[in-house]
Amino acid sequence: MKKFYLMLLLVVGMVVLAACSSGDEEASGGSGSEGSSDLDTITAWAWDPAFNIAALEKAKEAYDGDGEYEVNVIENAQDDIIQKLNTGLSSGTTNGMPNIVLIEDYRAQSFLQAYPDAFHPLTDVISSDDFADYKIATTSYDGEQYGLPFDSGVAALYVRTDYLEEAGYTVEDVTNITWQEYIEIGKDVKEATGKNMLTLDPNDLAQVRMMIQTNGSWYVDEDGSTPNLAGNETLEKAFETYKEMMDADIAKIVSDWSQFVGAFNSGDVASVPTGNWITPSVKQAADQSGNWAVVPMPRLDMDGAVNASNLGGSSWYVLNVDGKEQAADFLLNTFGSNPDLYQTLVKDIGALGTYSPAAEGDAYAVEDEFFGGQQLITDLSTWTDEIPGVNYGLHTYAIEDILVTGMQDYLNGAELTTVLENVQGQAEAQLK
Amino acid sequence: MREQSTKKGELDLPVSLRYKETKRQKTGVFFRRKVGWLFVIISIIAISIFNFYPMVQAFLLSFQSGMGANLEYVGFDNWQRLFGDPTFIAALTNTSIYLLIQVPLMIVLALFFSVLLNDPKLKFKGFFRIAIFLPCVTSLVAYSVVFKYLFGIDGIINQFLLNFGFISQTINFLADPFWAKVVIILAITWRWTGYNMIFYLAALQNVDKSIYEAARIDGANSIQQFFQITVPMLKPIILFTSITSTIGTLQIFDEIVNITNGGPGNATISISQYIYNLSFEYTPDFGYASTVSYVIVILVVILSIIQFRVAGEKK
Amino acid sequence: MKKLQRIFIYTFLSLAAIVSIFPFLWMLVSITNKSVDVTQGRLLPGTHLIENMKTLFATVDIVPALINSAIIAIITTILTLLLASLAGYGFEIHRSRGKDIVFTILLLSMMIPFAAIMVPLYRMFGSISDTAPFIGIDSLGAVILPTATTAFFIFFFRQNTKMFPKDLVEAGRIDGLSEIGVFFRIYMPTMKTTYAAAAIISFMNSWNNYLWPLVILQSPEKRTIPLLISNLGSSYSPDYGVIMSAIVIATLPTALVFFLMQKHFVAGMMGSVKG
Repeated sequence: MKKFYLMLLLVVGMVVLAACSSGDEEASGGSGSEGSSDLDTITAWAWDPAFNIAALEKAKEAYDGDGEYEVNVIENAQDDIIQKLNTGLSSGTTNGMPNIVLIEDYRAQSFLQAYPDAFHPLTDVISSDDFADYKIATTSYDGEQYGLPFDSGVAALYVRTDYLEEAGYTVEDVTNITWQEYIEIGKDVKEATGKNMLTLDPNDLAQVRMMIQTNGSWYVDEDGSTPNLAGNETLEKAFETYKEMMDADIAKIVSDWSQFVGAFNSGDVASVPTGNWITPSVKQAADQSGNWAVVPMPRLDMDGAVNASNLGGSSWYVLNVDGKEQAADFLLNTFGSNPDLYQTLVKDIGALGTYSPAAEGDAYAVEDEFFGGQQLITDLSTWTDEIPGVNYGLHTYAIEDILVTGMQDYLNGAELTTVLENVQGQAEAQLK
Repeated sequence: MREQSTKKGELDLPVSLRYKETKRQKTGVFFRRKVGWLFVIISIIAISIFNFYPMVQAFLLSFQSGMGANLEYVGFDNWQRLFGDPTFIAALTNTSIYLLIQVPLMIVLALFFSVLLNDPKLKFKGFFRIAIFLPCVTSLVAYSVVFKYLFGIDGIINQFLLNFGFISQTINFLADPFWAKVVIILAITWRWTGYNMIFYLAALQNVDKSIYEAARIDGANSIQQFFQITVPMLKPIILFTSITSTIGTLQIFDEIVNITNGGPGNATISISQYIYNLSFEYTPDFGYASTVSYVIVILVVILSIIQFRVAGEKK
Repeated sequence: MKKLQRIFIYTFLSLAAIVSIFPFLWMLVSITNKSVDVTQGRLLPGTHLIENMKTLFATVDIVPALINSAIIAIITTILTLLLASLAGYGFEIHRSRGKDIVFTILLLSMMIPFAAIMVPLYRMFGSISDTAPFIGIDSLGAVILPTATTAFFIFFFRQNTKMFPKDLVEAGRIDGLSEIGVFFRIYMPTMKTTYAAAAIISFMNSWNNYLWPLVILQSPEKRTIPLLISNLGSSYSPDYGVIMSAIVIATLPTALVFFLMQKHFVAGMMGSVKG
């Protein structure tokens, strides 16, 4: 009997001890920075080493305040950040949460409203007027400014000039056009070169999102939560245009990101309508240098629609945990007030911010050989100012999942008004 | 108490002869009862802390609703909401289809492989075993890329079917609601058959091979041996794999997210993917997500009771 | 007839092997290709292997991640094997009405999706973080604890114990072994293949576990392999050649564990023990 007890205890004890001590060892070997009570160090989470993480590192170098603390930059995939934040914040455990976190603009309102006390307002810290209007709308809530607007998701049309030329078009012909004109050009390009005009992913309605924002519309009403699908003329127009693209047979169908990137890297498509953050991926195919140009986003053929839109983009937030003063101080003295930092960001990592005072700098005027000597950053920056502001609200992705089904029905021949009424009903039922 | 134990004991020896030490003789059976609990107690405590306690919390959550941290009690609203939620119904339907087709298919295949690979005369056994096991260690990323490529419009499968005249026009497998489900079922089966095979391979070692020899002498062929010896002998493990595969398929997530991401439309979405979306992809509603999770629990409980009954384990 | 059957068996197994190995081979081929080629599903080996490996080792700390994963997987597997086999044995050999009820309740614990219990579990580990940091948030201990005891393996061991000849237990008792002695001296060696199977599966589950380590671990230096790979794909312009290289490195240990363990699957082992 005793022997049994002893043996069991011994074995289990040994193993548990081994587990713990190895864990302990690792812990003491670590930076010890994750404890937010440690005011000497603040932690920042972001994704993409070449872009956001690099931007944070540049910000650390550029910091010109008098705070004496370390900034510990931690890279996490975007989905991972969302899961970690949601789990941490909803459990009410601030332990292990970062001080600064990057959140995609489409998701900002969700986080701000789902965890009302979790974020530290920056209203008195930064000057909202310095940033692009459309960014301010998505990063503030209930009269308080929570986000420090970061990268512009300004959308643009990346075109293959060589393919266009083969079909008898110039860059001017695709500048400031409507989607209908785009489709016509697409048909000619396909006839002349055999190449598709663009890629479409039936499970990702980014295309529709970019289209409706050119006319200042969104999936939800101004209040950010009431679905605005049935009777939304802009959305109807976008659906029709999407179907026209499909019917015109100018789109290569892809099913994920790697195929999307693969398509333009291998020269399978003549244009890429998407966010400007795609630039590094486009440039990845170095052999295509000089064959690309970037023009403003086509607009919907409606009154009031403009040739400027947005896709993605994100902003910095400060969590309401110990160290928030330091975090706010860090952001203010870097992304919040330092035009030179933005020059560096543009020059060294191609990250385009939305801080207006930065636009006059030299780095913005640089000519990009890959794009045939175009002053790409200046152009993008100009278009950024024209993006219609919309309230992305709470349910972008939830509604989009419903819309994807609706789009399938519509493409299979269902009537548009019925389809949109259906999705409206579904969205209202699901988003209680 | 002693009488009881004599009945249970397989050796019909007088109780006094069964224990050498007199001290033990006195406390033997009672002691053994207690000791039985000691074998299981650590697991019971650990599972209570790390599973049951959070499960109770999740159950309470299933009666609450709201965004993120703003939860409030809504009674049975969430449960009602389930029936009017088309996404949930699509997820439930898809998951049921996967379950009904995929689990039996996989169990039979795994059993079949393990019997073939247990043959002592088979050559290259090690190679075949590792080959069939490999899919479950192959990374999902690699495997989804390969599956998408195989089943793409200009993929190998389409080319094969075209060349051999099975079809006259390419099929866009992943964009078609029916074929996308077929691809998912193939993918899950491909990935998890080798996994279940391990359990059978291990269990087959515990089958006394003299039984097979006796059967062979009686003139039973290999098919008869399979049904009359192997299947009955492996029944506990077949039950185990059926229940765990049922649970696995009801909670299927990775394959779907990586291959179709639930599409086209909602044609392949699973319950677990919906739970994930409700918790992380959309504005989080952990209350409603818990309710959906408990639907899985209820389904598994019902199906497990049926499986236990069919296996005749509850005497 | 017999020969025909043989031919059929070998053809069938070869086909199954080809289908099973193909994606794995493609994975191996991919690490020799450039990102662009990987996204296009190129089937032929390229010349980019060394470059991919160089980039991989230059951009991420893959070795510490491998060590973390190994520590977690090995400890979890040892704990799982020991605790689950003890419990599976206890539930079957020392069967009683009360234990049967408890066993049925334990089975319930594997029926809920992990995502549903993650938040309460996180809160639990958060609340002990200050008093016991070695099992709190951001510790390897916290990764191991909830995964080391699972009803799944208890169920597995119990079902296998049903096939274990009970007279061996009696024989052991007669030989004067204590109850625990019977377990360690008779049950464990007899059930070697069951342990081997459980070890493979437990190691694999732990090695590939994603969601729980993701939320509970915070510092980059504690990351496990799946978290590191997830990060590699987080970029707007991911390098798929490098990602595939990381994936292949991450896959090899499980394949190796399987290879070592499957040797124990030798037909008819039980017969020899009995005789």
